[in-house]
Amino acid sequence: MNLAGTFTFAGPRATVWALLHDPAVLAKALPGTKTLTLAGPGRYEGAMKVSIGPLTAAEFAVVVTLSDEIEPSHFAMQIDGKGGVGFAKGSATVDLAEGADGGTVMTYASDIQIGGRIAAVGQRLVESVGRMMMKQALDSLNAELEARVKK
Amino acid sequence: MKPAAFEYHRPDTRPEALALLEQHGGDAKPLAGGQSLIPAMNFRLATPAVLVDLNRVGDLAYMRVDSGVLRIGAMTRHRDVERSEDVRRAAPLLFEAMPFIAHAAIRTRGTIGGSLAHADPAAELPAVMLALDATFRVESVRGAREIRATDFFTGLFGTALEPGELVTEIQIPVTPATGPRTGTAFTEFSRRHGDFALAGVAARVTTDERGTCVSARIALFGVGDRPMAAAAGARLLEGQTVSDDLLRATADATAREDIDPTGDIHASSRYRRHLAGVLTRRVVARAFERSRVTHEE
Repeated sequence: MNLAGTFTFAGPRATVWALLHDPAVLAKALPGTKTLTLAGPGRYEGAMKVSIGPLTAAEFAVVVTLSDEIEPSHFAMQIDGKGGVGFAKGSATVDLAEGADGGTVMTYASDIQIGGRIAAVGQRLVESVGRMMMKQALDSLNAELEARVKK
Repeated sequence: MKPAAFEYHRPDTRPEALALLEQHGGDAKPLAGGQSLIPAMNFRLATPAVLVDLNRVGDLAYMRVDSGVLRIGAMTRHRDVERSEDVRRAAPLLFEAMPFIAHAAIRTRGTIGGSLAHADPAAELPAVMLALDATFRVESVRGAREIRATDFFTGLFGTALEPGELVTEIQIPVTPATGPRTGTAFTEFSRRHGDFALAGVAARVTTDERGTCVSARIALFGVGDRPMAAAAGARLLEGQTVSDDLLRATADATAREDIDPTGDIHASSRYRRHLAGVLTRRVVARAFERSRVTHEE
């Protein structure tokens, strides 16, 4: 699965950068996140329960490791998720640029492999689920950002 | 593979079924034909705590036409819809689509209401219902309401159904064989017959006596997280007479503006978009042809 795109945040780049590194904020934004903690420098560990409409959730233990950080404009991540129904493994890059009207333009790209039972049965749905989660997460982060900017 | 443990209820009447669904709310799943739910449970991708089996509820399986509406009970099996003379006459688009649904053995068991409530983005029936502007009757212990197909499908396996609600009837405006000249057509492309389609299209066009399109609906499936109404494509048809240029422009607009398909190991996003355009052109052309034929009969 290759999820890629751009998203415009309604707030300054330094705040976006901070939000994207705050486990408490990310835990709220990423759909299905049960726990997410900073386990070491640039290393996040958590548990996610991904559900698709009425289909019941698949639970994953997730480790995300950040690298190549150039504050406040770029970072890369390694993503490693394991669960009872399969695994997800891949990498992603995030670039932040200053946009018009004090906004921040995020450009993201990812390459994530899905394996195990979830891939055997749900292959055709994986990208739709990925897109849906991405959209929810970005909208939620943007709402949090707007709340902070207003303060 | 075996499902996780669940509680099983088999009510005999509609009120009992609705009461059970209300009582268990989001923990309960109605069991219709079980052709999607049971495999998902056996793979443990679905683990409902409670199943409410509708197969003994007698008054949910019927087909009849009254005052310009084809009414199909939600528990009507695909195979019965496929073989119905009423459906062939009143909703030729639905009739044409039925043989594309999975395989005969699955259609013998699967139900129209089950397929619609499941809302698989690659399923045929949700797109057919969009193209025909169908309405679904939905009941719960709190009462009944009607939801248009255009408002029913909200996302990936997502519907406007609330916990405790059950689809009980599908209402399809009868496609007129005389009077307004209406033509419908359906096709899909899959790697093998019975597989989930890589892309599929359903269309309905109505023309005046000069062949000018007065209304058009195009719906696609397999190319998004839900059945997609092709508004940009259909808009180009209205007020126009059919031509190769018009068909090409409609197909291009549909593929470019109305859908944003995902890719998987079977077909890339780009391939699906191209395929959707090709199928749209074919289906709309056939719908126009049929809009002439139906009037001349």
